[in-house]
Amino acid sequence: MINKHVISEKIKKAIVEANIKINPEVEEIIERYEGPFSDIIKENYRVSKEEKLPLCQDTGIVEFFVFIGHEVKLEEPIEETLNRAVGEVYSEYPFRYSVVSDPLFERINTGTNTPAIVHIFQVKGKSLEIRFLVKGGGSENLTVLRMMTPTSDVEKVKEFVIEHIKEHGAKACPPLHVGIGIGGTADKALLLSKLALTKSFKERNKDPKYAGLEKELEKELNFLGIGFQGLGKGITVYSVHIEHFPTHIATLPVAVSVDCYLCRRGKVTFED
Amino acid sequence: MRIEDLKAGQEIRYSGKLIVMRDQAQRRLKEIVDRGEEPPVDLRGQIVFYAGPAKTPSGKPVGAIGPTTSARMDDYLEMLFKLGAIATIGKGKRSKKAIEACKKWKRVYFVTPSGTAAALSKRVKKSRVLAFEDLGPEAIYEIEVEDFPLIVAIDSNGNTIFKE
Repeated sequence: MINKHVISEKIKKAIVEANIKINPEVEEIIERYEGPFSDIIKENYRVSKEEKLPLCQDTGIVEFFVFIGHEVKLEEPIEETLNRAVGEVYSEYPFRYSVVSDPLFERINTGTNTPAIVHIFQVKGKSLEIRFLVKGGGSENLTVLRMMTPTSDVEKVKEFVIEHIKEHGAKACPPLHVGIGIGGTADKALLLSKLALTKSFKERNKDPKYAGLEKELEKELNFLGIGFQGLGKGITVYSVHIEHFPTHIATLPVAVSVDCYLCRRGKVTFED
Repeated sequence: MRIEDLKAGQEIRYSGKLIVMRDQAQRRLKEIVDRGEEPPVDLRGQIVFYAGPAKTPSGKPVGAIGPTTSARMDDYLEMLFKLGAIATIGKGKRSKKAIEACKKWKRVYFVTPSGTAAALSKRVKKSRVLAFEDLGPEAIYEIEVEDFPLIVAIDSNGNTIFKE
């Protein structure tokens, strides 16, 4: 049995760090940037670390991806543990509550930044892996799904991704991490595009064809020249990750999700 | 410096007051104006900053603060100019409609760096809620800033730094 307090404490620490400490992969790239606002962008993560202030005022909605071993026993449903952890972190730290209860009618702030978004996947074994994204609204608004025709080729898929980033990329605080989900059903493709954002910039799809497509897209998206802050200097995307899944003969779902330049994410694992 | 003299691409540091408001506050403001009632804030000569700050840590004037996506609020820009606002600050590219409004009213749009809320909060000296307190981070605030980094993204002639 994995103790709920053990899960909660580790998750809380990871969420605080994701909000306050610059992602080391990102830092490496920002340090080399010398365009407009570069002084403030660099100053930002020094200030946030020293003063325990969030890197961005949009401390997001937390999106969890839980991979739970089939032999793992828990004290309570994992969603309850995670929501409690989020509620505690956001109350204890100077983070913003950005979650509203009803999406359409009464957009009343829940005052806890919960509920978080929780996706659960059961896997083999005794381990529990929890990945998460601290997802800001600006980048989330760029999420898009297109049900392409099943005869669409690679070029058509590339065109769709490139057009989307070209038109909207500047709004989501570039350089962006681009996650692409191809296949499955509509909802599966969207989920895969989010999972792609939990990967390290250096990872590559295991299938060489998809890995090649990731590299090509990276190159072509950077050729757009949107740059840091959308101001034309520096790279446009850090990395492109594709996750794919079998699909129906009549469909080709393609989803695109992006993460902002801070790429606030984390991964915590437990053993039962 | 006059607003009309600013040119797209120009970098400036601003010290003075800003009126902070975003989506829901502008929506509510529009409802008030449409009913023919007096708006709860005087926007004449003011600069509107599209932002929603994080919580204020004890002993600090303001929490982490930074711009939100301006294009979402393009439909309210004309109203802000009518109420006397002279500029807006946010992040990202805006619609043709927003560019036209800047040109027509001889107003400007600035960008300030996004995702740099800790650093920007150091440049905020004072903060107070002006209206719509129930909206939490979406309430209308007045803040006083020093050396606030801005780039002119749309100038009063409708020139823009963003590619079409």
